[in-house]
Amino acid sequence: MGKFILRRLLLLIPILLGLTLLIFVFIHLLPGDPAIAILGDRASPENVERVREALGLNEPLYQQYLDYMGGLVQGDLGRSFITNRDVVDDFLQRFPATIELSLSAIIFAIVLGIPLGLVTAKQRGRWVDQVGTVASLIGISIPIFFLGLMLKWLFAIQWPILPDSGRIDLIEYYIPRVTNFMTIDAILAGEWGGFIDALRHLILPAVALGTIPLAIIMRITRASVIDVLNEDYVRTANAKGLPSGIVDGRHILRNALLPVVTVIGLQTGLLLGGAILTETIFGWGGVGTWIYDAVTTRDYAVIQSGVLMLALIFVLVNLLVDVSYGFLNPRIRYS
Amino acid sequence: MRNWRWVSVFAVLILVLAACGQQPGASEEESEAPPPTGSEAPAPSEDGGTAGEPQQGGTLVFAGARLAASLDPALTSDGESFRVLQQVYEPLVDLAPGSANELVGVLAESWEGEPSDTTYVFHLREGVKFHDGTDFNAEAVKINFDRWQNFAEEFQADAYYYGAVMDGFGPDNLIESVEATDDLTVTFTLRDPSPTFLFGLALTPFAIVSPAILEQTNADDPASSTFGTEVVQGGTGPFILEDYVPDDSAVLVRNEDYWGDPAYLDRVIIRPIEDPAARLQALQGGSIQGYDLVSPTDYEAVESSDGLSLMERLSFNSLYLGLNPLAEEGSVLTDIAVRQAIALAIDKQALIDAFYGGRGSVADIFLPPSSGWYEGVRAGVDDENTYPYDPDAARALLEEAGYGEDNPATVHFWAPTGVTRPYMPDPQGLQQAVTTMLEDVGFVVEPDSSDWSTEYTSAAQNGNYELHFLGWTGDYDDPSNWYGVHFGYSQGEPAAQFACDADGLEDAINTADQTLEEADRAAAWGEAANIIHGQVCFVTLTHGDTALAFTDAVQGYVPNPTGSETFTSVWLTDGGE
Repeated sequence: MGKFILRRLLLLIPILLGLTLLIFVFIHLLPGDPAIAILGDRASPENVERVREALGLNEPLYQQYLDYMGGLVQGDLGRSFITNRDVVDDFLQRFPATIELSLSAIIFAIVLGIPLGLVTAKQRGRWVDQVGTVASLIGISIPIFFLGLMLKWLFAIQWPILPDSGRIDLIEYYIPRVTNFMTIDAILAGEWGGFIDALRHLILPAVALGTIPLAIIMRITRASVIDVLNEDYVRTANAKGLPSGIVDGRHILRNALLPVVTVIGLQTGLLLGGAILTETIFGWGGVGTWIYDAVTTRDYAVIQSGVLMLALIFVLVNLLVDVSYGFLNPRIRYS
Repeated sequence: MRNWRWVSVFAVLILVLAACGQQPGASEEESEAPPPTGSEAPAPSEDGGTAGEPQQGGTLVFAGARLAASLDPALTSDGESFRVLQQVYEPLVDLAPGSANELVGVLAESWEGEPSDTTYVFHLREGVKFHDGTDFNAEAVKINFDRWQNFAEEFQADAYYYGAVMDGFGPDNLIESVEATDDLTVTFTLRDPSPTFLFGLALTPFAIVSPAILEQTNADDPASSTFGTEVVQGGTGPFILEDYVPDDSAVLVRNEDYWGDPAYLDRVIIRPIEDPAARLQALQGGSIQGYDLVSPTDYEAVESSDGLSLMERLSFNSLYLGLNPLAEEGSVLTDIAVRQAIALAIDKQALIDAFYGGRGSVADIFLPPSSGWYEGVRAGVDDENTYPYDPDAARALLEEAGYGEDNPATVHFWAPTGVTRPYMPDPQGLQQAVTTMLEDVGFVVEPDSSDWSTEYTSAAQNGNYELHFLGWTGDYDDPSNWYGVHFGYSQGEPAAQFACDADGLEDAINTADQTLEEADRAAAWGEAANIIHGQVCFVTLTHGDTALAFTDAVQGYVPNPTGSETFTSVWLTDGGE
């Protein structure tokens, strides 16, 4: 297993190298000029030229790439064209917000998705299953921005039991940012009320973001459980008179979970890439809107390094998923 | 069955969490509840004036679209950055609250110097301290101006306003010298008289920063400066920057040692919420108490909501239709009758009603009525050159010019995508509406578009677009910032955007630019404007007002057409309780 992990980690180097080139080429294929994006309606030809010169955009492309790679190997991922802030600092400041949101969303999806999948599979063909199937279909097809706005309208405006946006009630709680995980920072500051408030702020965006993964996890679990239900060992376990909880947990779910775990891994990776719509609707300053804004303003430094860091995380999450297979199914051998 | 149990446990957990927060939520709700509707209830009024006694204390959470691009005021040039920074940093002079053209002393108590002078003497306010505790004095002013003049090239790109007002950077720009004559007197010597110098100084990028902070943060070195990114106490303003988390919040606390009347509010928290619909929901949901740039489509929603009110900000902008006869070969725009037909075909009031929620005014000239120069310049422009809506006259002109059904006048009409601006709330809708108006008088219109932030503005300014939307928000109140910026000649060549080279225009603009006495200057710009409008180099369409929205608990906000606004006079009816 150690060897397997080491090999996968070494493989990262060529993957990431290739990725830097791919992102670089892709960015420069995008039409448009960062200088114009920076200057807006004040983009006179002289101003544009001055900004291009200052940003080094007049250098030949290969030179720009070499400069970027030169910085990268020294650990310098560059500075934003727009804010002049260090890209790594900006990423580290926003990524905890994204992790907090995506983990909440995926936990919401898992905690509801797997039991619902199991129940609908066991009740296959009955009304519970039919309602579940329709609900999951709606869950998959509902646009996030619509769901987000509706949730907000319902639970923050019409029936105001939850906050409409943001990460914490800024009037009630002043939490110094240490880790940038609002929940953890609140605990560190000894603000238990702030911790609860941060959790409350997570509910609506997590539900909005977690609905699609929830529906997917539920459907995959259902399909996978149905396969397992027909296995002999399940029938044997039931015939032996084992309590249904043990049959469900040890015999059915454990064997049915492998494809579910794969899906959870992929969904987590996707969510960590940032949820532009959810972040926009709920005023959540995560990496999704950060990179999206960088693309619209052609902030090359942010796009290049931001996407690279996200790619690294995606690959690592997938590695984690691969490793977890071994625990779920000891028959799997890594080679 | 066991699984159902888990589902219910989870559901209960969510409800408990929701309930746990009820208390602060409820108190917040109470605090934002509309005031009693009695005669003693404080009522908001259009001009930000207030009823009732201002109360001390409380926190205001206010949303804009973004936070500051940089925390170094000199390196910013947009309203969202100014909103944060002008609470913290102050210039020598500033616009009077609510006025686009009246200057008041801020860090300078008084000054001597007229637009025709090359020497300005500023007498500084005594006893002012920077937030870091160091003294504000003449030397600090000199250090700041020297810093800007000698900006490294990397900074010059962002220091748009210094470059624009002071005619570039380096020892040969407008400023010949800045001298600290004594501890509280600064003397500026300019190379030439500049009618825009004083108004330029009122812009946030000319705010004075503590020299000690500049040194600590290595502010002059583009590679290692942390001034634009770190939270520092370098201003003199009514609020101190306490915390700043990009894309999340800027926290400002009252400066208890402020030289003037201290602010009423204990804290102001500015949050970035990019989507206008999300800003409205945040206001309705109670997580903010005010926001800027209400979408015109939301005016009604705000006005009809209990406990919310809309505050209008007079326009300091203009949307126009640029006409470039040289953008395309064989363009019909080379014929002035065709250009006049376009101007006459557009019902500007209908655009205001449909796209600006009816708030704004028809742009008969480029300058908005909120400008102190409006009357003077407007007087110089013949009424017929303002082209009031007259579709019949437009049709007749086109016919006279030899265009008809068999031989229609075809124009290529550009609008930007991926943007809304205060002067252009819905570019595609506006394009559709104007297209319909033009088609109605006999034009054949070929609509086209390109991406605003990476292509549109530059392509338009380089003269690539035949008929195109663009607009302008004034930097400061002077006709040169409107007509001069757009139609000024460069080395004998007219601006490429309009290729407007009318007889006598170059002379008229140069004369106007050099005329310094106020009444003569207005008349001279009026003359230049008359040529530009007469030749239909562009058709000015609208001056769209913008609006802010507040809960009724928020009082005392004074909108300014230029957007130069502070939270100093703002208070909460409940004192934040």
